[in-house]
Amino acid sequence: MQQDKIFADHVSVAYEKDDESLLAVDDVTLSIQEGEFVVIVGPSGCGKTTFMNTLAGLVKPIRGKVFMDGKQITGPSAERGVVFQQFALFPWKTVFENVEFGLKYRGIPKDERREIVRKYIRMVKLEGFENSFPHELSGGMKQRVAIARVYANMPQILLMDEPFGALDAQTRTIMQEDLSEMFMMEKRTVVFITHSVDEAIYLGDRVIIMTARPGKFKKIINVTADCLIPNRRNLGYDDVVNLKAFRDLKRELWGLIKAEIVEKRIL
Amino acid sequence: MSMKAFGPQFLERIYREKVVLSLSSVLGFIFCWYLITDVLGLIPALFLPSPEKVFFTIYEKIFIPVGQSTLFGHVGVSLLRILVGTTIALCLAIPLGILMGWYEDLDSVMTPIIEVLRPIPPIAWIPLAILWFGIGLGSKVFIIGIGVFFPTLINTYMGVKFVDPILIKAAQTLGAKDKDVLREVILPASVPLIVAGIRIGIGLGMMCLVAAEMVAASSGLGFLIMLGGDNLKPELSITGMILIGIMGLLADTLILAVEKKVVYWKKESQNG
Repeated sequence: MQQDKIFADHVSVAYEKDDESLLAVDDVTLSIQEGEFVVIVGPSGCGKTTFMNTLAGLVKPIRGKVFMDGKQITGPSAERGVVFQQFALFPWKTVFENVEFGLKYRGIPKDERREIVRKYIRMVKLEGFENSFPHELSGGMKQRVAIARVYANMPQILLMDEPFGALDAQTRTIMQEDLSEMFMMEKRTVVFITHSVDEAIYLGDRVIIMTARPGKFKKIINVTADCLIPNRRNLGYDDVVNLKAFRDLKRELWGLIKAEIVEKRIL
Repeated sequence: MSMKAFGPQFLERIYREKVVLSLSSVLGFIFCWYLITDVLGLIPALFLPSPEKVFFTIYEKIFIPVGQSTLFGHVGVSLLRILVGTTIALCLAIPLGILMGWYEDLDSVMTPIIEVLRPIPPIAWIPLAILWFGIGLGSKVFIIGIGVFFPTLINTYMGVKFVDPILIKAAQTLGAKDKDVLREVILPASVPLIVAGIRIGIGLGMMCLVAAEMVAASSGLGFLIMLGGDNLKPELSITGMILIGIMGLLADTLILAVEKKVVYWKKESQNG
Protein backbone atom coordinates (compact mmCIF):
# COMPACT_ATOMS: atom_id res chain seq x y z
CA MET A 1 0.00 0.00 0.00
CA GLN A 2 1.16 3.51 -0.78
CA GLN A 3 2.35 5.50 2.20
CA ASP A 4 0.13 8.37 3.33
CA LYS A 5 1.45 11.84 2.49
CA ILE A 6 0.02 13.11 5.76
CA PHE A 7 -1.17 10.94 8.60
CA ALA A 8 -2.72 12.47 11.73
CA ASP A 9 -2.99 9.78 14.39
CA HIS A 10 -5.56 10.44 17.14
CA VAL A 11 -4.59 14.08 17.40
CA SER A 12 -5.93 16.39 20.10
CA VAL A 13 -4.92 20.05 20.25
CA ALA A 14 -5.60 22.59 22.97
CA TYR A 15 -5.05 26.32 23.16
CA GLU A 16 -4.79 28.77 26.02
CA LYS A 17 -7.42 31.43 26.42
CA ASP A 18 -7.80 33.60 29.51
CA ASP A 19 -5.59 31.24 31.52
CA GLU A 20 -7.81 28.36 30.67
CA SER A 21 -6.96 25.47 28.39
CA LEU A 22 -9.59 24.84 25.73
CA LEU A 23 -9.74 21.71 23.65
CA ALA A 24 -9.84 22.84 20.02
CA VAL A 25 -9.38 19.52 18.22
CA ASP A 26 -10.54 16.29 19.80
CA ASP A 27 -9.05 12.94 18.82
CA VAL A 28 -8.92 13.37 15.06
CA THR A 29 -7.48 10.76 12.71
CA LEU A 30 -6.92 11.52 9.04
CA SER A 31 -4.77 10.35 6.17
CA ILE A 32 -4.18 12.41 3.07
CA GLN A 33 -2.81 10.95 -0.15
CA GLU A 34 -0.31 12.61 -2.45
CA GLY A 35 -1.95 14.95 -4.97
CA GLU A 36 -5.23 15.16 -3.11
CA PHE A 37 -7.18 18.37 -2.59
CA VAL A 38 -8.72 18.06 0.87
CA VAL A 39 -11.09 20.72 2.15
CA ILE A 40 -12.02 21.01 5.81
CA VAL A 41 -15.23 22.92 6.41
CA GLY A 42 -16.97 23.68 9.68
CA PRO A 43 -18.66 26.33 11.79
CA SER A 44 -16.49 29.23 12.97
CA GLY A 45 -14.31 28.48 15.96
CA CYS A 46 -14.50 24.73 15.37
CA GLY A 47 -10.75 24.22 15.50
CA LYS A 48 -10.11 23.84 11.78
CA THR A 49 -7.41 26.52 11.76
CA THR A 50 -5.85 24.96 14.85
CA PHE A 51 -5.80 21.60 13.11
CA MET A 52 -4.15 23.13 10.05
CA ASN A 53 -1.54 24.86 12.23
CA THR A 54 -0.80 21.44 13.71
CA LEU A 55 -0.18 20.05 10.22
CA ALA A 56 2.08 23.03 9.54
CA GLY A 57 4.07 22.31 12.70
CA LEU A 58 3.23 25.71 14.18
CA VAL A 59 1.23 24.14 17.02
CA LYS A 60 2.01 20.96 18.94
CA PRO A 61 -0.76 18.48 19.72
CA ILE A 62 -1.36 17.54 23.36
CA ARG A 63 -2.12 13.96 22.35
CA GLY A 64 -1.42 11.99 19.21
CA LYS A 65 1.12 12.53 16.44
CA VAL A 66 1.20 13.90 12.91
CA PHE A 67 3.39 12.34 10.23
CA MET A 68 4.48 13.42 6.79
CA ASP A 69 5.86 10.62 4.59
CA GLY A 70 6.07 8.52 7.75
CA LYS A 71 8.25 11.06 9.59
CA GLN A 72 6.82 12.84 12.62
CA ILE A 73 6.17 16.58 12.22
CA THR A 74 7.91 18.47 15.04
CA GLY A 75 8.08 22.04 13.75
CA PRO A 76 7.47 24.31 10.77
CA SER A 77 9.20 23.40 7.53
CA ALA A 78 9.41 24.65 3.98
CA GLU A 79 7.98 21.27 2.93
CA ARG A 80 4.61 22.45 4.17
CA GLY A 81 3.84 25.91 2.78
CA VAL A 82 1.05 27.96 4.31
CA VAL A 83 -1.27 30.55 2.78
CA PHE A 84 -2.82 32.66 5.54
CA GLN A 85 -6.15 34.44 5.51
CA GLN A 86 -4.39 37.70 6.44
CA PHE A 87 -2.01 37.31 3.44
CA ALA A 88 1.06 37.74 5.70
CA LEU A 89 3.16 39.40 3.01
CA PHE A 90 6.31 41.20 4.10
CA PRO A 91 5.23 44.82 3.60
CA TRP A 92 8.77 46.14 3.15
CA LYS A 93 9.49 43.72 0.31
CA THR A 94 8.32 44.06 -3.28
CA VAL A 95 6.12 41.43 -4.92
CA PHE A 96 9.24 39.91 -6.47
CA GLU A 97 11.13 39.82 -3.18
CA ASN A 98 8.16 38.32 -1.37
CA VAL A 99 7.88 35.48 -3.87
CA GLU A 100 11.65 34.98 -3.75
CA PHE A 101 11.75 34.81 0.06
CA GLY A 102 11.84 31.06 0.64
CA LEU A 103 14.08 30.27 -2.34
CA LYS A 104 17.07 31.97 -0.71
CA TYR A 105 16.99 29.41 2.08
CA ARG A 106 16.97 26.57 -0.40
CA GLY A 107 20.36 27.64 -1.70
CA ILE A 108 19.10 28.24 -5.23
CA PRO A 109 21.42 30.47 -7.31
CA LYS A 110 20.21 33.96 -8.14
CA ASP A 111 19.59 33.45 -11.87
CA GLU A 112 17.56 30.35 -11.27
CA ARG A 113 15.61 32.10 -8.51
CA ARG A 114 14.67 34.88 -10.88
CA GLU A 115 13.33 32.35 -13.40
CA ILE A 116 11.23 30.57 -10.77
CA VAL A 117 9.85 33.81 -9.34
CA ARG A 118 8.89 35.03 -12.83
CA LYS A 119 7.17 31.75 -13.59
CA TYR A 120 4.96 31.86 -10.52
CA ILE A 121 4.20 35.56 -10.78
CA ARG A 122 2.99 34.73 -14.30
CA MET A 123 0.98 31.81 -12.95
CA VAL A 124 -0.94 34.06 -10.56
CA LYS A 125 -1.36 36.63 -13.36
CA LEU A 126 0.61 39.43 -11.73
CA GLU A 127 3.17 40.19 -14.46
CA GLY A 128 4.02 43.86 -14.35
CA PHE A 129 3.58 44.11 -10.57
CA GLU A 130 6.99 42.65 -9.68
CA ASN A 131 8.23 45.92 -8.22
CA SER A 132 5.02 46.93 -6.44
CA PHE A 133 4.80 46.90 -2.67
CA PRO A 134 1.98 45.04 -0.91
CA HIS A 135 0.27 48.27 0.22
CA GLU A 136 -0.20 49.19 -3.41
CA LEU A 137 -2.16 46.01 -4.18
CA SER A 138 -5.80 45.02 -3.68
CA GLY A 139 -6.71 42.17 -1.33
CA GLY A 140 -7.09 39.68 -4.16
CA MET A 141 -3.72 40.64 -5.61
CA LYS A 142 -2.06 40.33 -2.21
CA GLN A 143 -3.39 36.82 -1.84
CA ARG A 144 -2.15 36.01 -5.35
CA VAL A 145 1.33 37.07 -4.25
CA ALA A 146 1.04 34.86 -1.15
CA ILE A 147 -0.04 31.90 -3.31
CA ALA A 148 2.84 32.49 -5.75
CA ARG A 149 5.24 32.75 -2.80
CA VAL A 150 4.18 29.35 -1.50
CA TYR A 151 4.09 27.60 -4.90
CA ALA A 152 7.50 29.00 -5.86
CA ASN A 153 9.00 27.51 -2.72
CA MET A 154 8.14 23.99 -3.99
CA PRO A 155 6.54 22.61 -0.84
CA GLN A 156 5.19 19.09 -0.93
CA ILE A 157 2.00 20.20 0.80
CA LEU A 158 0.10 23.45 0.53
CA LEU A 159 -1.89 24.41 3.58
CA MET A 160 -4.45 27.13 2.93
CA ASP A 161 -6.22 28.71 5.87
CA GLU A 162 -9.37 30.43 4.59
CA PRO A 163 -7.26 32.11 1.92
CA PHE A 164 -10.22 33.86 0.29
CA GLY A 165 -12.05 34.66 3.52
CA ALA A 166 -11.05 38.32 3.49
CA LEU A 167 -11.98 38.90 -0.16
CA ASP A 168 -15.20 40.22 -1.67
CA ALA A 169 -17.55 37.74 -3.38
CA GLN A 170 -16.57 38.62 -6.95
CA THR A 171 -12.84 38.45 -6.36
CA ARG A 172 -13.37 35.27 -4.42
CA THR A 173 -15.06 33.48 -7.33
CA ILE A 174 -12.26 34.42 -9.71
CA MET A 175 -9.66 33.27 -7.18
CA GLN A 176 -11.43 29.93 -6.75
CA GLU A 177 -11.41 29.31 -10.50
CA ASP A 178 -7.78 30.29 -10.80
CA LEU A 179 -6.78 28.13 -7.86
CA SER A 180 -8.59 25.13 -9.36
CA GLU A 181 -6.64 25.73 -12.58
CA MET A 182 -3.33 26.05 -10.71
CA PHE A 183 -4.07 22.83 -8.87
CA MET A 184 -4.45 20.99 -12.17
CA MET A 185 -1.26 22.54 -13.57
CA GLU A 186 0.91 22.03 -10.50
CA LYS A 187 -0.13 18.76 -8.94
CA ARG A 188 0.55 19.29 -5.24
CA THR A 189 -1.24 18.04 -2.18
CA VAL A 190 -3.52 20.76 -0.81
CA VAL A 191 -5.28 21.06 2.53
CA PHE A 192 -7.76 23.90 2.37
CA ILE A 193 -9.77 25.38 5.25
CA THR A 194 -13.00 27.28 4.66
CA HIS A 195 -16.39 27.94 6.14
CA SER A 196 -18.00 28.26 2.73
CA VAL A 197 -19.83 25.11 1.66
CA ASP A 198 -19.82 26.19 -2.01
CA GLU A 199 -16.08 26.73 -1.96
CA ALA A 200 -15.54 23.36 -0.29
CA ILE A 201 -17.52 21.40 -2.88
CA TYR A 202 -16.16 23.35 -5.83
CA LEU A 203 -12.52 22.81 -4.87
CA GLY A 204 -12.29 19.65 -2.79
CA ASP A 205 -11.55 16.11 -3.93
CA ARG A 206 -12.52 15.24 -0.42
CA VAL A 207 -14.62 17.42 1.88
CA ILE A 208 -14.41 16.94 5.63
CA ILE A 209 -17.16 18.37 7.83
CA MET A 210 -16.02 19.31 11.32
CA THR A 211 -18.22 19.55 14.38
CA ALA A 212 -18.38 22.65 16.56
CA ARG A 213 -15.66 22.89 19.23
CA PRO A 214 -14.07 20.67 20.31
CA GLY A 215 -13.64 19.80 16.65
CA LYS A 216 -14.10 16.23 15.50
CA PHE A 217 -14.74 14.93 12.00
CA LYS A 218 -18.46 14.63 11.47
CA LYS A 219 -18.48 13.34 7.91
CA ILE A 220 -16.07 12.86 5.03
CA ILE A 221 -17.39 13.11 1.46
CA ASN A 222 -15.37 11.83 -1.51
CA VAL A 223 -16.50 14.28 -4.16
CA THR A 224 -14.00 13.17 -6.79
CA ALA A 225 -13.58 9.47 -5.99
CA ASP A 226 -17.32 8.84 -5.84
CA CYS A 227 -17.74 10.97 -8.96
CA LEU A 228 -20.43 13.05 -7.32
CA ILE A 229 -19.96 15.98 -9.66
CA PRO A 230 -18.47 14.67 -12.92
CA ASN A 231 -15.98 16.69 -14.90
CA ARG A 232 -16.00 19.46 -12.34
CA ARG A 233 -12.44 20.75 -12.77
CA ASN A 234 -13.01 21.56 -16.43
CA LEU A 235 -16.00 23.77 -15.73
CA GLY A 236 -16.23 27.36 -14.52
CA TYR A 237 -17.51 28.18 -11.07
CA ASP A 238 -20.86 29.39 -12.32
CA ASP A 239 -21.47 26.18 -14.33
CA VAL A 240 -20.59 23.96 -11.40
CA VAL A 241 -22.79 25.64 -8.80
CA ASN A 242 -25.79 25.35 -11.13
CA LEU A 243 -25.45 21.58 -11.54
CA LYS A 244 -28.12 19.56 -9.76
CA ALA A 245 -25.45 17.31 -8.27
CA PHE A 246 -23.77 20.38 -6.75
CA ARG A 247 -26.99 21.71 -5.29
CA ASP A 248 -27.90 18.34 -3.76
CA LEU A 249 -24.49 17.99 -2.18
CA LYS A 250 -24.61 21.54 -0.93
CA ARG A 251 -28.00 20.95 0.70
CA GLU A 252 -26.68 17.85 2.44
CA LEU A 253 -23.50 19.52 3.71
CA TRP A 254 -25.22 22.69 4.81
CA GLY A 255 -27.75 20.59 6.72
CA LEU A 256 -24.91 18.95 8.64
CA ILE A 257 -23.22 22.23 9.47
CA LYS A 258 -26.43 24.01 10.35
CA ALA A 259 -27.30 21.21 12.76
CA GLU A 260 -23.96 21.80 14.52
CA ILE A 261 -24.52 25.52 14.77
CA VAL A 262 -28.06 25.18 16.12
CA GLU A 263 -27.33 22.25 18.41
CA LYS A 264 -24.25 23.77 20.06
CA ARG A 265 -25.79 27.25 20.05
CA ILE A 266 -22.87 29.01 18.36
CA LEU A 267 -25.27 31.44 16.79
CA MET B 1 -18.54 74.98 -10.29
CA SER B 2 -16.21 73.32 -12.78
CA MET B 3 -14.45 70.03 -12.04
CA LYS B 4 -11.20 71.89 -12.40
CA ALA B 5 -11.76 73.49 -9.03
CA PHE B 6 -11.00 70.12 -7.44
CA GLY B 7 -7.93 69.37 -9.53
CA PRO B 8 -4.28 69.81 -8.61
CA GLN B 9 -4.59 73.59 -8.79
CA PHE B 10 -7.17 73.44 -6.05
CA LEU B 11 -4.88 71.39 -3.80
CA GLU B 12 -2.01 73.70 -4.60
CA ARG B 13 -4.09 76.68 -3.57
CA ILE B 14 -4.99 75.06 -0.26
CA TYR B 15 -1.34 74.31 0.33
CA ARG B 16 -0.36 77.86 -0.50
CA GLU B 17 -3.04 79.19 1.80
CA LYS B 18 -1.73 76.94 4.58
CA VAL B 19 1.79 78.26 4.17
CA VAL B 20 0.48 81.82 4.19
CA LEU B 21 -1.50 81.09 7.36
CA SER B 22 1.46 79.53 9.16
CA LEU B 23 3.71 82.38 8.14
CA SER B 24 1.24 85.01 9.27
CA SER B 25 0.84 83.33 12.64
CA VAL B 26 4.58 83.58 13.26
CA LEU B 27 4.64 87.20 12.11
CA GLY B 28 1.53 87.96 14.16
CA PHE B 29 3.19 86.52 17.24
CA ILE B 30 6.24 88.72 16.77
CA PHE B 31 3.99 91.71 16.09
CA CYS B 32 2.08 91.21 19.37
CA TRP B 33 5.37 90.91 21.17
CA TYR B 34 6.46 94.16 19.52
CA LEU B 35 3.16 95.78 20.46
CA ILE B 36 3.24 95.00 24.18
CA THR B 37 6.92 95.89 24.59
CA ASP B 38 7.88 98.73 22.26
CA VAL B 39 4.60 100.37 21.31
CA LEU B 40 2.45 100.09 24.43
CA GLY B 41 5.29 99.59 26.92
CA LEU B 42 3.15 97.22 29.00
CA ILE B 43 6.16 95.19 30.17
CA PRO B 44 9.47 96.80 31.17
CA ALA B 45 12.42 95.87 28.94
CA LEU B 46 14.14 94.32 31.94
CA PHE B 47 11.46 91.61 32.08
CA LEU B 48 10.78 91.19 28.40
CA PRO B 49 13.03 92.83 25.83
CA SER B 50 11.51 93.87 22.54
CA PRO B 51 11.89 91.64 19.47
CA GLU B 52 14.23 94.02 17.70
CA LYS B 53 16.50 94.02 20.72
CA VAL B 54 16.62 90.24 20.65
CA PHE B 55 17.27 90.14 16.91
CA PHE B 56 19.99 92.72 17.32
CA THR B 57 21.54 90.62 20.10
CA ILE B 58 21.54 87.57 17.85
CA TYR B 59 23.17 89.58 15.08
CA GLU B 60 25.69 91.16 17.40
CA LYS B 61 26.73 87.93 19.12
CA ILE B 62 27.56 86.34 15.81
CA PHE B 63 30.59 88.63 15.77
CA ILE B 64 31.18 89.58 19.39
CA PRO B 65 32.04 86.71 21.74
CA VAL B 66 29.95 85.97 24.83
CA GLY B 67 32.08 84.24 27.39
CA GLN B 68 34.66 82.18 25.48
CA SER B 69 33.10 82.19 22.04
CA THR B 70 30.68 83.76 19.58
CA LEU B 71 27.13 82.54 19.01
CA PHE B 72 28.26 80.04 16.37
CA GLY B 73 30.74 78.64 18.86
CA HIS B 74 27.98 78.08 21.43
CA VAL B 75 25.67 76.51 18.88
CA GLY B 76 28.55 74.33 17.65
CA VAL B 77 29.48 73.12 21.12
CA SER B 78 25.84 72.28 21.95
CA LEU B 79 25.49 70.48 18.65
CA LEU B 80 28.65 68.47 19.29
CA ARG B 81 27.39 67.42 22.74
CA ILE B 82 24.02 66.32 21.47
CA LEU B 83 25.53 64.46 18.51
CA VAL B 84 28.04 62.54 20.62
CA GLY B 85 25.49 61.81 23.36
CA THR B 86 22.83 60.67 20.92
CA THR B 87 25.22 58.52 18.90
CA ILE B 88 26.52 56.68 21.96
CA ALA B 89 23.00 56.22 23.36
CA LEU B 90 21.65 54.84 20.07
CA CYS B 91 24.59 52.46 19.69
CA LEU B 92 23.76 51.00 23.09
CA ALA B 93 19.96 51.24 23.17
CA ILE B 94 19.10 49.73 19.77
CA PRO B 95 21.18 46.52 20.06
CA LEU B 96 20.14 46.05 23.70
CA GLY B 97 16.47 46.58 22.81
CA ILE B 98 16.68 44.04 20.00
CA LEU B 99 18.40 41.45 22.20
CA MET B 100 15.91 41.99 25.04
CA GLY B 101 12.99 41.62 22.67
CA TRP B 102 14.47 38.47 21.16
CA TYR B 103 15.90 36.60 24.17
CA GLU B 104 13.36 36.16 26.94
CA ASP B 105 16.00 35.34 29.55
CA LEU B 106 17.83 38.60 28.92
CA ASP B 107 14.47 40.35 29.09
CA SER B 108 13.83 38.89 32.55
CA VAL B 109 17.31 39.86 33.75
CA MET B 110 17.33 43.43 32.41
CA THR B 111 13.72 44.57 32.77
CA PRO B 112 13.66 45.06 36.57
CA ILE B 113 16.84 47.17 36.46
CA ILE B 114 15.56 49.24 33.56
CA GLU B 115 12.16 49.77 35.11
CA VAL B 116 13.80 51.23 38.23
CA LEU B 117 16.29 53.45 36.35
CA ARG B 118 13.88 54.65 33.69
CA PRO B 119 11.61 56.89 35.83
CA ILE B 120 14.60 58.79 37.27
CA PRO B 121 14.68 62.17 35.49
CA PRO B 122 17.94 62.44 33.52
CA ILE B 123 18.81 65.72 35.25
CA ALA B 124 18.90 63.88 38.58
CA TRP B 125 22.08 62.29 37.25
CA ILE B 126 23.85 65.67 36.96
CA PRO B 127 25.66 65.57 40.33
CA LEU B 128 26.93 62.04 39.72
CA ALA B 129 27.81 62.86 36.12
CA ILE B 130 29.96 65.79 37.27
CA LEU B 131 31.55 63.61 39.94
CA TRP B 132 32.36 60.88 37.43
CA PHE B 133 33.14 62.83 34.27
CA GLY B 134 34.05 66.35 35.44
CA ILE B 135 32.52 69.46 33.90
CA GLY B 136 33.82 68.81 30.38
CA LEU B 137 32.20 67.10 27.43
CA GLY B 138 31.84 63.81 29.31
CA SER B 139 29.20 64.85 31.84
CA LYS B 140 26.95 66.51 29.23
CA VAL B 141 27.24 63.55 26.90
CA PHE B 142 26.29 61.28 29.77
CA ILE B 143 23.17 63.30 30.69
CA ILE B 144 22.02 63.63 27.07
CA GLY B 145 22.78 59.95 26.54
CA ILE B 146 20.49 58.98 29.41
CA GLY B 147 17.74 61.13 27.93
CA VAL B 148 18.03 59.49 24.51
CA PHE B 149 18.71 55.98 25.79
CA PHE B 150 15.48 55.00 27.53
CA PRO B 151 12.84 56.01 24.98
CA THR B 152 14.90 54.41 22.22
CA LEU B 153 15.44 51.24 24.23
CA ILE B 154 11.78 50.86 25.16
CA ASN B 155 10.56 51.48 21.62
CA THR B 156 13.08 49.11 20.09
CA TYR B 157 12.10 46.44 22.60
CA MET B 158 8.41 46.93 21.87
CA GLY B 159 9.08 46.97 18.14
CA VAL B 160 10.78 43.57 18.33
CA LYS B 161 8.33 42.12 20.84
CA PHE B 162 5.18 43.06 18.97
CA VAL B 163 6.02 42.10 15.41
CA ASP B 164 2.87 40.60 13.89
CA PRO B 165 3.24 36.87 14.71
CA ILE B 166 1.72 35.92 11.36
CA LEU B 167 4.80 37.34 9.59
CA ILE B 168 7.05 35.17 11.75
CA LYS B 169 4.92 32.11 11.00
CA ALA B 170 5.00 32.93 7.30
CA ALA B 171 8.79 33.16 7.34
CA GLN B 172 9.17 29.92 9.31
CA THR B 173 6.91 27.96 6.97
CA LEU B 174 8.93 29.30 4.03
CA GLY B 175 12.04 27.75 5.53
CA ALA B 176 13.59 30.63 7.48
CA LYS B 177 15.60 29.66 10.57
CA ASP B 178 15.67 31.74 13.75
CA LYS B 179 18.55 33.96 12.66
CA ASP B 180 16.89 34.54 9.28
CA VAL B 181 13.65 35.49 11.01
CA LEU B 182 15.52 38.00 13.16
CA ARG B 183 17.36 39.55 10.24
CA GLU B 184 14.68 39.41 7.55
CA VAL B 185 11.48 39.89 9.54
CA ILE B 186 11.96 41.19 13.10
CA LEU B 187 14.44 43.93 12.26
CA PRO B 188 12.66 45.50 9.28
CA ALA B 189 9.28 45.17 11.00
CA SER B 190 10.48 47.04 14.07
CA VAL B 191 12.12 49.94 12.22
CA PRO B 192 9.06 52.24 12.42
CA LEU B 193 8.89 51.96 16.21
CA ILE B 194 12.66 52.32 16.56
CA VAL B 195 12.62 55.54 14.54
CA ALA B 196 9.69 56.83 16.62
CA GLY B 197 11.72 56.05 19.74
CA ILE B 198 14.72 57.93 18.43
CA ARG B 199 12.48 60.92 17.75
CA ILE B 200 11.16 60.97 21.32
CA GLY B 201 14.68 60.33 22.62
CA ILE B 202 16.24 63.26 20.79
CA GLY B 203 13.48 65.56 22.05
CA LEU B 204 14.28 64.52 25.59
CA GLY B 205 18.01 64.74 24.84
CA MET B 206 17.63 68.43 23.90
CA MET B 207 16.00 69.15 27.26
CA CYS B 208 18.81 67.32 29.01
CA LEU B 209 21.37 69.29 27.02
CA VAL B 210 20.04 72.63 28.20
CA ALA B 211 19.68 71.44 31.79
CA ALA B 212 23.23 70.08 31.86
CA GLU B 213 24.66 73.24 30.31
CA MET B 214 22.81 75.43 32.77
CA VAL B 215 24.30 73.66 35.76
CA ALA B 216 27.85 73.00 34.75
CA ALA B 217 29.21 74.59 31.62
CA SER B 218 31.01 77.68 30.38
CA SER B 219 29.78 77.30 26.84
CA GLY B 220 26.73 76.15 24.89
CA LEU B 221 23.19 77.44 24.54
CA GLY B 222 22.17 76.40 28.07
CA PHE B 223 25.09 78.42 29.43
CA LEU B 224 23.94 81.41 27.35
CA ILE B 225 20.43 81.15 28.76
CA MET B 226 21.78 80.99 32.32
CA LEU B 227 24.24 83.82 31.72
CA GLY B 228 21.41 86.08 30.54
CA GLY B 229 19.60 85.47 33.81
CA ASP B 230 22.67 86.02 35.98
CA ASN B 231 23.59 89.29 34.26
CA LEU B 232 20.02 90.60 33.97
CA LYS B 233 20.19 90.37 30.18
CA PRO B 234 16.98 88.59 29.25
CA GLU B 235 17.68 89.18 25.54
CA LEU B 236 20.62 86.80 25.87
CA SER B 237 18.42 84.12 27.45
CA ILE B 238 15.82 84.55 24.73
CA THR B 239 18.54 84.27 22.08
CA GLY B 240 19.56 80.90 23.52
CA MET B 241 15.95 79.77 23.73
CA ILE B 242 15.19 80.69 20.12
CA LEU B 243 18.27 78.86 18.88
CA ILE B 244 17.40 75.75 20.90
CA GLY B 245 13.89 75.89 19.44
CA ILE B 246 15.25 76.10 15.91
CA MET B 247 17.70 73.26 16.58
CA GLY B 248 14.87 71.08 17.85
CA LEU B 249 12.71 71.90 14.86
CA LEU B 250 15.52 71.04 12.45
CA ALA B 251 16.31 67.78 14.27
CA ASP B 252 12.66 66.76 14.16
CA THR B 253 12.36 67.64 10.46
CA LEU B 254 15.45 65.59 9.74
CA ILE B 255 14.13 62.55 11.60
CA LEU B 256 10.75 62.79 9.90
CA ALA B 257 12.51 62.87 6.53
CA VAL B 258 14.56 59.82 7.50
CA GLU B 259 11.41 58.08 8.71
CA LYS B 260 9.66 58.71 5.42
CA LYS B 261 12.67 57.22 3.64
CA VAL B 262 13.01 54.04 5.71
CA VAL B 263 9.35 53.23 6.31
CA TYR B 264 8.31 53.85 2.71
CA TRP B 265 6.28 50.65 2.90
CA LYS B 266 3.94 51.63 5.68
CA LYS B 267 0.58 52.96 4.61
CA GLU B 268 -1.98 53.67 7.33
CA SER B 269 -2.67 50.44 9.22
CA GLN B 270 -2.22 47.32 7.18
CA ASN B 271 -0.46 44.00 7.54
CA GLY B 272 0.78 43.28 4.07
